[in-house]
Amino acid sequence: MSEPDQKILDATGLFCPEPVFRTKIEIEKMQVGQVLTVSADDPAAEDDISRWVARNGHELLDMAKDGGKITFQIKKVK
Amino acid sequence: MLDRVGNTPLVRLACLSAGGRSYFAKLEGHNPFGSVKDRAALWMIRDGEQRGVLRRGQTILIEPTSGNTGIALAGIAKLLGYKAEIVIPEKASEETKEIIRSLGAKIYETSDDLCPKVGAGTDQSIALATSIASSRPETYYSPNQYANDANFLGHYSGTGPEIWRQTGGRVTHFFTGVGTGGTITGTGTYLKEQSPDVKIIAVQPQQNHLIQGLRNFEESAKPDLFLRREGVVDDWVTSTNAQSFGVVREIFEKDRLVVSPSSAAVFAAMKRYPLPDGACAVGIFADDGRKFRSIYSSQGVMTEEEFDSAVRQARHLSDVAYMQG
Repeated sequence: MSEPDQKILDATGLFCPEPVFRTKIEIEKMQVGQVLTVSADDPAAEDDISRWVARNGHELLDMAKDGGKITFQIKKVK
Repeated sequence: MLDRVGNTPLVRLACLSAGGRSYFAKLEGHNPFGSVKDRAALWMIRDGEQRGVLRRGQTILIEPTSGNTGIALAGIAKLLGYKAEIVIPEKASEETKEIIRSLGAKIYETSDDLCPKVGAGTDQSIALATSIASSRPETYYSPNQYANDANFLGHYSGTGPEIWRQTGGRVTHFFTGVGTGGTITGTGTYLKEQSPDVKIIAVQPQQNHLIQGLRNFEESAKPDLFLRREGVVDDWVTSTNAQSFGVVREIFEKDRLVVSPSSAAVFAAMKRYPLPDGACAVGIFADDGRKFRSIYSSQGVMTEEEFDSAVRQARHLSDVAYMQG
């Protein structure tokens, strides 16, 4: 995948609902087809972000947990 | 400018007063930034200063609001040397958001789908403001009007005594909407201390309402501030969207007041509520109607041309700080 299609959001240290809010803002700024990588360490982010992605019709390509850190790959679909 | 917070006029509502019953509106739009929320904003900032949690030129105030507190806090923060960031539901009126931006504050717009477990409307804003402040305590302070007792005290020390004095102790019924609960608990507690017979009547909108500033407690949680003194409320009245928007034109035609939707909801409740002969009713009109040109047009209350004409003919419009350019 080419470099300009990858966006990164570091939401570690932030408490919910701020990670999902920052994710929404980033996704709104992106083009359809681009992928956003979000990292967060508030456990509530797992539900908040994955549900928000589903409700808004985007695609969760991957979600990985490493210790307390959760990394999401979100593709903007519409 | 800040000396002008409070001491708002109490005007007789000729269109309701009849026989032995008199009705008054407390026109909170006469506060310097145009609404009752100047009281809460000023008291909460002063409280933060007295407790030493605010540093001028450094602290960023972040606050959840449905509109007027954002305007009040942005305006007062700027005067006192603080930055302000305002968290507001995206459905708030465009006029409101534009005024907040013009006062130099940053806006975060929340939507109901952000975090469903939090709840709709301002609950999303409360959660986001709290989360932003709690992860950066060295930079941010959230007064949080939904839990801050300084909001209660502003009304207990200001609005309540003003109404008692302005009615010469004759007030028998007090009507107000409930958003944070600051106005009803602060004013209600003071009035009941003067006379336990004063009836405190809470006005709430219907569910799925369009009344900026009020909350329906079947669809959103009661704020902590309200819960602390909920017992002060004697009775509840619900005003529907139709009842509220339906009286806006009547109030203008009969009393030449251009009122906000929340003031109209309070008026609609006062109009329907059965009062005994000799009663003296006071209702809080939290702001005037000038921020609601677009919503009145979209709701079919009056066209934008009719609205502009009404504003030109209106009585009791105040000089609001952000309208002086």
